[in-house]
Amino acid sequence: MKKFNIAIVGLGGQGIITMGTVMKNAALNSDLQDVSGSERRGGAQREGYVETFVKYIFYENIEEMNNPRKNMHSPMIESGGANALISLEPLETLRGIKYLNKDSIVIFNKTPYIPISVRMGKTKYPEISFIVSELQKVTKHIYYYDIDAISLEKFNSLTQKNIIALGILFAKAEIPISRTAVESILAQGKGAENNLKAFELGLNL
Amino acid sequence: MAKSNLFVNGSEGDKAIVLGNEAIARGALEAGIGYASMYPGTPASEIIAVLDKNKKYVENLYTEFSLNEHISLHGAIGASWSGIRSLCAMKNVGLNVASEPAQFLAYTGVKAGLVLAIGSDPGAPSSSNEQDDRWYSLHTYMPVMEPSNIQEAKDFTKDAFDVSEEFSFGIVLMAPSRLCHNAGALLFGNIRDRSNIKGNFKKDPENYLNLFSLAVKNHAKYLERNELLKKYLIESKFNKTVNDGSSKIGFISSGVIYAHLMETFDILGVYDHKILKLGFSFPISDELIKRFFEGLEKVVIVEEAEGFLEFQIKKIAYEIGFKGNIYGKEFFSRTGELTLDDVISGVSKFLEKPLPASFDFAVKKDRELSDKLPQRSGTFCIGCPHRSTFYSILKAVGFSNTEEKERDVVIAGDIGCYTLGLLPPYNAMDFLTCMNAGLSIGQAISNFDKSKKVIALVGDSTFYHSGIPVLLNAVQNGADILYIILDNSWTAMTGHQKTPTTQKDIDGKPLQNVLNLKDLIKSLGVSYVKSLDPNSVKRFSSQIKSALKEPGVKVLIAKRECILQEIRRNKSLLKNGANAAETGESLYEIQKSRCVKCNECFVELACPAIILKKDEDTGGDYYYIDPASCVKCGVCYEICPNSAIRKVEFDIKSEFKLDGKPLEITV
Ligand code: SF4
Ligand code: SF4
Repeated sequence: MKKFNIAIVGLGGQGIITMGTVMKNAALNSDLQDVSGSERRGGAQREGYVETFVKYIFYENIEEMNNPRKNMHSPMIESGGANALISLEPLETLRGIKYLNKDSIVIFNKTPYIPISVRMGKTKYPEISFIVSELQKVTKHIYYYDIDAISLEKFNSLTQKNIIALGILFAKAEIPISRTAVESILAQGKGAENNLKAFELGLNL
Repeated sequence: MAKSNLFVNGSEGDKAIVLGNEAIARGALEAGIGYASMYPGTPASEIIAVLDKNKKYVENLYTEFSLNEHISLHGAIGASWSGIRSLCAMKNVGLNVASEPAQFLAYTGVKAGLVLAIGSDPGAPSSSNEQDDRWYSLHTYMPVMEPSNIQEAKDFTKDAFDVSEEFSFGIVLMAPSRLCHNAGALLFGNIRDRSNIKGNFKKDPENYLNLFSLAVKNHAKYLERNELLKKYLIESKFNKTVNDGSSKIGFISSGVIYAHLMETFDILGVYDHKILKLGFSFPISDELIKRFFEGLEKVVIVEEAEGFLEFQIKKIAYEIGFKGNIYGKEFFSRTGELTLDDVISGVSKFLEKPLPASFDFAVKKDRELSDKLPQRSGTFCIGCPHRSTFYSILKAVGFSNTEEKERDVVIAGDIGCYTLGLLPPYNAMDFLTCMNAGLSIGQAISNFDKSKKVIALVGDSTFYHSGIPVLLNAVQNGADILYIILDNSWTAMTGHQKTPTTQKDIDGKPLQNVLNLKDLIKSLGVSYVKSLDPNSVKRFSSQIKSALKEPGVKVLIAKRECILQEIRRNKSLLKNGANAAETGESLYEIQKSRCVKCNECFVELACPAIILKKDEDTGGDYYYIDPASCVKCGVCYEICPNSAIRKVEFDIKSEFKLDGKPLEITV
């Protein structure tokens, strides 16, 4: 059995849940495969922490798939258990650090969204350099972009940033599902034209 | 769900990614339900929402968003007695409200199958407590099923209707938020023929009438049925034993925690212990446990919350004279969500197996960092009328977000989107417990502490849920209190279900039977009732001030529709050709030169569209309205004491106007 775990974190309103749904739908074709993963929404409201997990499970054979010791999977990812982490907000990347191990790939958006505690002057928002250096203590595979700016520039809107991030994921990490599967899911969804462009854009960043 | 028609048309062999909640709904559909209802509540809302959305494609399906859980479960009982399989859903605390019908359901039994799906919320990310509703079954005798994953969520729900009919119990299907909001692969089954779903109520006085000795008789009957069910559960397909090892240690678990446990064994590389998976966590058959205990010296019960399984199993162990040791809550916390990490740590400690190095490292790293990171909490959406309401209240009582002083006005909180007002920066609630506790507790406080004014808050949906009798009680007993009803026309927090004061549908269609809230309140005997737009913050705030000076029960209705619904409707109208842009547009901006950073808009109002920007020239920061997120509600414009925010209007001829006057563009 092989597993591949992706943790996606960010804030309410950034399209985190959609990213998880796209990645799961793209993996629905093989029989010897299981897809799972739960989401956590800190209330439906804006600016709360949101995370979603995508877990791919590949069985070696039918026996393994029917083995009760092998075929039941948690909807969560354990500490140190993510093959990849995507974060759409820099500070939240550090909250997602618990999922990383030395081989994990990290992709994060460096546009900060200031939490209320910082707004009120009670705490300070960490510098990007601090975030990167903390991540580097765990893994070397770190990629970060100003995805908000890229999305605004190309699409005049922030709606595409989650799909751009998915494109980057495919460019930087060995993902056990195919790009074309993702593309065909995007092609069926809302805003297909822009989403396909955004995915392509991310692939080439 | 990717292809929404699959939810209705899918049949055996089809596969899709669905939410746990959708899987439960699909299971009920496969079982042939004709009735589905709920009072919306996270994490369970989508169970009925998906059925409601699709009912036009499904023959003979009635759905209802009831005004509260008590009504909703009674509705399901009425449908069941009419021979209709019925599904009722609610969140964990909903059962407190529905506990009365639940209690009587065992006495009367069901006719057609009845399933009560409960979304529990360990860790309380969307609730005001983390109660474990399984304990209710010790006196309601409702059997409890706990699916472990998406597939079981569907399969168990479907089977639950058969079990319900066979033993004449309403069945509780328990799903924590981790399962409700898990999205994963589901294999569909076939849907039962729906053409002959037709109600036919047959009188059954022996079961349905409960008084004096009749009630006592029914009490004895359900205890008997419970014993029969226990027998059935000795060898049913729902409880499973994994026994291919030689270890003298056994593990017992259920639901999502069982999924955590099995993944834990895989992560720790442990494959030889005996395992019992309980599909039914109530009742538990003594014989089943006895057989599982054979040859074991130690048994570990892995579960969330306060140990409902452990409580039952220890009792059984005592009765059957088990000589080994039983462990549970020594290794797994009684509070908070039990995560995969918690199960890994607990099992590794019990088995004295080392943790994987990467796990250990990551946990330490997280612990080291987490205290240093600024906390983040959710807040109102940009342009939300609740933000204006809280701003107005705080201004009216002479309080600021940044001042650390004792407030001599008591603000009673309640349940809904506006509950977020208790968080920073507003900190505008002094207590919060359950639905309609605000006015109930508030009126007593106002009675006993005459030195403080009391303001009680409530949302429209919460008011209709159970607030009307509370308001009547306040009037009848001469309370002195200001009651603010935040009427945003929708049950917004749970996905925008309609309330009795929803005036227009999302596509602009006016709705029937819209309640006149002001008239209703007057008819309850309140003479001081006013309805205002909270976004006119200055007017609203002075109205609150003067209301506080009046004696008796005063009601202010903060009436403005949820901004998300307003935006959605405008979008859909625009799509359908109505020219919403014709009326002209406006834009708000902060003039850097005039802004003195007094923080009125940035901290006191704290609209998230107002952000901090780096000034490339000076290196300092300035406040800036992000045009991509501002929804142009104009509240910041109204409150800026330094007239630093300006309104730029432009109409379709793109003629710019500043504060109503044509704009001179200097180059
Ligand atoms: S209220 Fe006006 S002066 Fe005060 S910070 Fe906001 S824009 Fe600046
Ligand atoms: S007008 Fe002001 S208060 Fe309203 S959304 Fe825009 S920035 Fe926020």
